[in-house]
Amino acid sequence: MPHSFQIPALSLEQYTLPNGLRVVLNSDGAAPVVSVAVYYDVGSRNEREDRTGFAHLFEHMMFQGSENVPKAGHFQHIMKAGGTMNGTTSSERTNYYETMPADQLPLALWLESDRMRSLAVTQENLENQREAVKEEKRLRYDNQPYGQIFDLINEMIYGNFANAHSTIGSMDHLDAASVEDVQEFFRIYYAPNNAVLVLSGSFDVAEAKNLVDGYFGDIPSQPLPPSLDVSEPPAVVAKYREWEDKLAPFPAFLIGWKIPARRSREFYALYLAGKILYEGDSSRLYQKLVKGDEAVIQLFGFTDERRGPSSIFIGAIPKPDKDLSKIRETIMLEIEDLAIHGPKTEEMEKIKNQLINDSIRMRQSSMARAQQIAEFALYDGDPGLINTELDILLAVTKNEIRDVVGKFLNTDNRSLLNVKPAGASA
Amino acid sequence: MTLIKRQSPPEPLAPISFEIEHPFRSKLANGLEVVIFPNNKLPLVSFRLAFQSGDIQDPADAKGLTSATTSMLTEGTSEYTSAQLAEKIERLGAGLSAHASDDFTTIAASCLSLYSEEILHLVADVVLRPTFPENELDLYRRNTIEHLKFQRSQPAFLANEQSARLIYGEHPYSNISPRAEDIQKLEREKLTAFHHQRFIASNAMLIAVGDVEPDALMKDLDDLFGDWKQGSAPENVAASPAARKARTLTIVDRPGSAQSNIVIGNLAIRRTSPDYFAMLVMNQVLGAGASSRVFMNLREEKGYTYGAYTRLETKKLAGDFEATAEVRTAVTGDSLREFFLEFDRIRQESVGEVELDDAKNFLTGVFPLRAETQEGLTNMIVNQHLYSLPDDYLQTYRDNVRGVSADEVQRVAQDYIRTEEMAIVIVGDAKEVLPQVQTYAESVEVFDTEGNRK
Repeated sequence: MPHSFQIPALSLEQYTLPNGLRVVLNSDGAAPVVSVAVYYDVGSRNEREDRTGFAHLFEHMMFQGSENVPKAGHFQHIMKAGGTMNGTTSSERTNYYETMPADQLPLALWLESDRMRSLAVTQENLENQREAVKEEKRLRYDNQPYGQIFDLINEMIYGNFANAHSTIGSMDHLDAASVEDVQEFFRIYYAPNNAVLVLSGSFDVAEAKNLVDGYFGDIPSQPLPPSLDVSEPPAVVAKYREWEDKLAPFPAFLIGWKIPARRSREFYALYLAGKILYEGDSSRLYQKLVKGDEAVIQLFGFTDERRGPSSIFIGAIPKPDKDLSKIRETIMLEIEDLAIHGPKTEEMEKIKNQLINDSIRMRQSSMARAQQIAEFALYDGDPGLINTELDILLAVTKNEIRDVVGKFLNTDNRSLLNVKPAGASA
Repeated sequence: MTLIKRQSPPEPLAPISFEIEHPFRSKLANGLEVVIFPNNKLPLVSFRLAFQSGDIQDPADAKGLTSATTSMLTEGTSEYTSAQLAEKIERLGAGLSAHASDDFTTIAASCLSLYSEEILHLVADVVLRPTFPENELDLYRRNTIEHLKFQRSQPAFLANEQSARLIYGEHPYSNISPRAEDIQKLEREKLTAFHHQRFIASNAMLIAVGDVEPDALMKDLDDLFGDWKQGSAPENVAASPAARKARTLTIVDRPGSAQSNIVIGNLAIRRTSPDYFAMLVMNQVLGAGASSRVFMNLREEKGYTYGAYTRLETKKLAGDFEATAEVRTAVTGDSLREFFLEFDRIRQESVGEVELDDAKNFLTGVFPLRAETQEGLTNMIVNQHLYSLPDDYLQTYRDNVRGVSADEVQRVAQDYIRTEEMAIVIVGDAKEVLPQVQTYAESVEVFDTEGNRK
């Protein structure tokens, strides 16, 4: 990779409205399109122990109408303007976003501000969305092979309830939720001073500022939500568990490690170690387990980035006649090799080229830009990280990767979930 | 200060026009068609080398041969082993993959434009000089057989397997997946011969989008692909699928299912049908999105499901219309009732002006959004050329959508939503589902998850 390779910086303007709403504008006229992202600082980590699943149920309620937008009007207004939209909930935040033809920016701001100001919560809508959420849970978790393993392993890794419980939550808790609970949740968490608004795409900055002021400026701020403690003991809570999955056709396993928070130097190094271990057909574990030993049907790994303690996972579905413990041993030996010798020069060149390629590809999409900027603004107070994070990642050294792998992955401080098929016709 | 009115939706700003340019087209002496769409906004490039043949051209005695040959392209060439190829590609931070669909076979590559030459060299290597090593083929066979077992655990696969069989009958589109015994029979000689016969210049098209300079690229292509043999393109599968005669009900028994996966469908139109735009608008009104009728009814009003949709599958030789939802078991029958009510409504009542305009505005408005990224734009251009759509297809797309009338929407609904000959497929717990749905067809057939009749 030539050292002279320069990626032009994205233009960013950030400011805060008097009511506390943090605004970031990324004006970029490459396509006649604009994306709007609103990130609220509330996720499943903020939930009470008797109201799990609430942040996600609430995300559904945000599409059920507000003072000037009827039930389901949000979908209809966006779509008839030629836009696309959605919302998602994680442990860290709840986000709402739309991509529109550029001339429809006012519509997106009108819709987002109306529901931030005046969400309409009715008994009928609450019951209806509870049912939609239950079907979402059945579809994504209960009726899929291996659908529940990530929720299970989080309970094994994390000791703090805020981190450990699932985002989809308990259906009993959702059934117990009242309209008043939902209204209270809205008042506490859906205030302008608990949110970030990002515009990315084709717009005139002065015009956009006027529109943002006009639509959002007089939404009242609220007292800050209760503070949150997401700290964790270093040790995982449970090292081993067996799970009988009645839909799984094959045995499988998932290993998870507790690692430092996103954007820490150690997290970055572990993220890159993960790429070396499991990303792509040239990765170490793919070449060892899928190719060399021909031992697994499927191999995967990823990091779960959180503001507090985070995690990294490696999982596999072995071939029926293969010994699971042998496969895990191979994984641990490869990790040990990385912890002793560090990455090879070719591996460093590969991950650097991949980081640069991914970073430039991400920039093509106004929605991808808006989402990354919103995360950096909400979590780090620094949207400019969208321009500088790549350099931080590129500066991570071989020795740093070697050392974090030794410190965090090559230990017996890990959670292992063994999945056993329990179906009648497996 | 802009005057803000909150009670009603705001007017749009001044529109920004959006036009897609015509690409540069050329041909090598051996017949390889080339389409180049230069765009240097970012230092990125996407390549597709696509062939006008796909899984449906599998020989009758060698199901799975097209996919196997395609997958094996990247598992060894006369220059590199499988591991070396993976290493070469990923060291550039690039992507290179090969995939076969029913109608086409495509090698896709993308990279930073400074690596264009390297990646094109690798594309040429995998397409022109694959060696199909015996040990890699053996691994492919064994992994594919495990994958075939795995997909039987997924309800969506089971539903699609049955609906394709029922809708397409004797036509090769009816078969969405080979069986283990088909995969066992794929010998190296078969792959080599098939590669020789199908991966030829006169059957191929190379499409490049992004930071490329056409003259320089043509020269590179001539160096890399100029000696490729022309060959003669294979005959297409000619027969159209036969029409169905009656409504049928098929249940795939998956005891203990937490939901019922419903697919209801019938034959509709091929990609090049003159009814394409009317169908697109009709489908948007009825079920393509979160503001369409079936989603509003089954999810937003009734709470039966997380999502209910209708979709068009428009392939080269034929196509189908399907309605789908995953619903809780207890409302399987109610969901069928609501689907058929919506089918009847769009067949019998003319769609209102506002609803029609909303659907058309979505389709025209979302058009520039789909072209925002290089991958999105590449897909549009690739589809236009693979289906041999008109040269001005992308330039006239939005006018064609705007031109669809309420009468046309109703006519295509009547022509292509054939409620009396639909195939109804439900994957779920048969003993719970059957009593709810028996009245929807004269006879019921029940299968197990292995695809065997019960």
